[in-house]
Amino acid sequence: MSVLDLTLGGQAAAVASGEADPAELLEAALGRIEERNPDLNAIVDTFPERSREMLAAAPEGPLRGVPVAIKDEWPLPWRAQRFGAAQMFPPSSPGESGPYRALRDAGATIVGVANMHELGASSTGNTSVYGPARNPWDTERCPGGSSSGPAAAVAGRIVAGAVGADGIGSIRFPAAYCGLTGLKPTFGRAAMAGHHMAEVSTTIVSGPLCADAADCRLLASALFGEPLAAGEARGLRIGVVRDAVSEDVAPAVREACEAAIEQLRAETGGEVREIELADIEAASLATVLIANTEGLAGLTPSGLRDLDPDLSPIARGLLKYRMLLPAAASVKAQAVRTLMRRRLAALFDQVDAIAWPTVPAVAPPLEAPLVELPSGTLTADQANVRGAGLANLTGIPSVSLPVGFDDGLPIGLQLQAAWGRDELLLDAAEALERATGRRWVESLPPLARQPEPSGT
Amino acid sequence: MEARDRADDFIPAGLASLGLEADEVDLAVMGAAHQLFWPAILSLFELDTGDAGPERGPDLSRAPARR
Repeated sequence: MSVLDLTLGGQAAAVASGEADPAELLEAALGRIEERNPDLNAIVDTFPERSREMLAAAPEGPLRGVPVAIKDEWPLPWRAQRFGAAQMFPPSSPGESGPYRALRDAGATIVGVANMHELGASSTGNTSVYGPARNPWDTERCPGGSSSGPAAAVAGRIVAGAVGADGIGSIRFPAAYCGLTGLKPTFGRAAMAGHHMAEVSTTIVSGPLCADAADCRLLASALFGEPLAAGEARGLRIGVVRDAVSEDVAPAVREACEAAIEQLRAETGGEVREIELADIEAASLATVLIANTEGLAGLTPSGLRDLDPDLSPIARGLLKYRMLLPAAASVKAQAVRTLMRRRLAALFDQVDAIAWPTVPAVAPPLEAPLVELPSGTLTADQANVRGAGLANLTGIPSVSLPVGFDDGLPIGLQLQAAWGRDELLLDAAEALERATGRRWVESLPPLARQPEPSGT
Repeated sequence: MEARDRADDFIPAGLASLGLEADEVDLAVMGAAHQLFWPAILSLFELDTGDAGPERGPDLSRAPARR
């Protein structure tokens, strides 16, 4: 087996012990991009000389010599982010973003920039100025968005870890669609400096996408600038919501998530409690309103009269529509935020984690991202935001874990915990991995099962 | 007057007030967004949030202060 096929932690250990040569590992990663990326379009830019320089200067950190990818949402000293789009608001420029510094200081090697949905504006990943990234489990399916490239790169085992960003589920959606573990950290805990919305956004965080929870812990520790201690999730009190929204999921997704919740309960010796959490749909809308209006100060009518013709028609129309949203709706959205934060604070006195499906159906086709639910056919974006917005609205951490398959496509379970309890979510994720014999986190898509002629 | 979710009044008026032009594709996208969001926004206005006015400078990295 190639060292590239080890976990992020495994690769770091192999380099640290001298078992693997980091220079060879980097070249192998660049070769893996050449080999697999044409099928996935996960990586949109490489810069081998910059990567080699980064490796040569790498300190003895926990990720020394390990190749990673970073979403096209973060500037690098040698490259401005494009945000998956022909035009950004405001325009971007190269620089040392927080995630770049975190990776550099941990000794990691950035081997490529990963694709994303245009302007971060969808849960599907099916639109990008670079063309869409593709889901390694079925390249005609959506990889999830907006961190589409990070997820496709990790699921395709091009790299073992990638940095994404999550403003309304943008780490968790692709984690679920691609069968990965993806952490949306507590607001403010992970590196955000240099993001073009860092000064105004109250929903966006950086975070890791990896195969398993241990790797997420390792990469998140770099992004947080502090080690995330591992512990035992004993006696986990798991809250489940049973209402029209949380029940409106595809039968196979529901069954897999319920089975996983029961396995997690049994593994931790915990309990499952039914809880009430009203107004989840209002919370989702509030998240969308806040996330879509916080950057409006940089958008002007004159700017909208001069949009880049290579922006997609959907982006052009939505940018104009944003300018028509009433200010009163944003104020009301902030009131909903307060309401939901109070409700969650009270709920987290009763339970340690709240569990529900990350997305209500598996990855839809790239060409027609629609999902069939008990309530009918919905666009994937309509359906997906229901379960994801709450964490961004309120600031709590959330993780998506792989828990099964439906017709060969991964299913994701989402766990949410109280502010600052990111570690608990990863402890719970590891407990579920133990309970399932790591069956789901070690599943490989067909493209990543191909034998290579030679190994590093 | 009854609230309406029809885009053919709201969007042209809004665009005109900002001095923006829109082609047929823009209007179709905006119309679809309006049909999706506007009924939900109207419902949001009616939602009883009790005394939960927006928190002043909320620290989203922490739980809200206990009342």
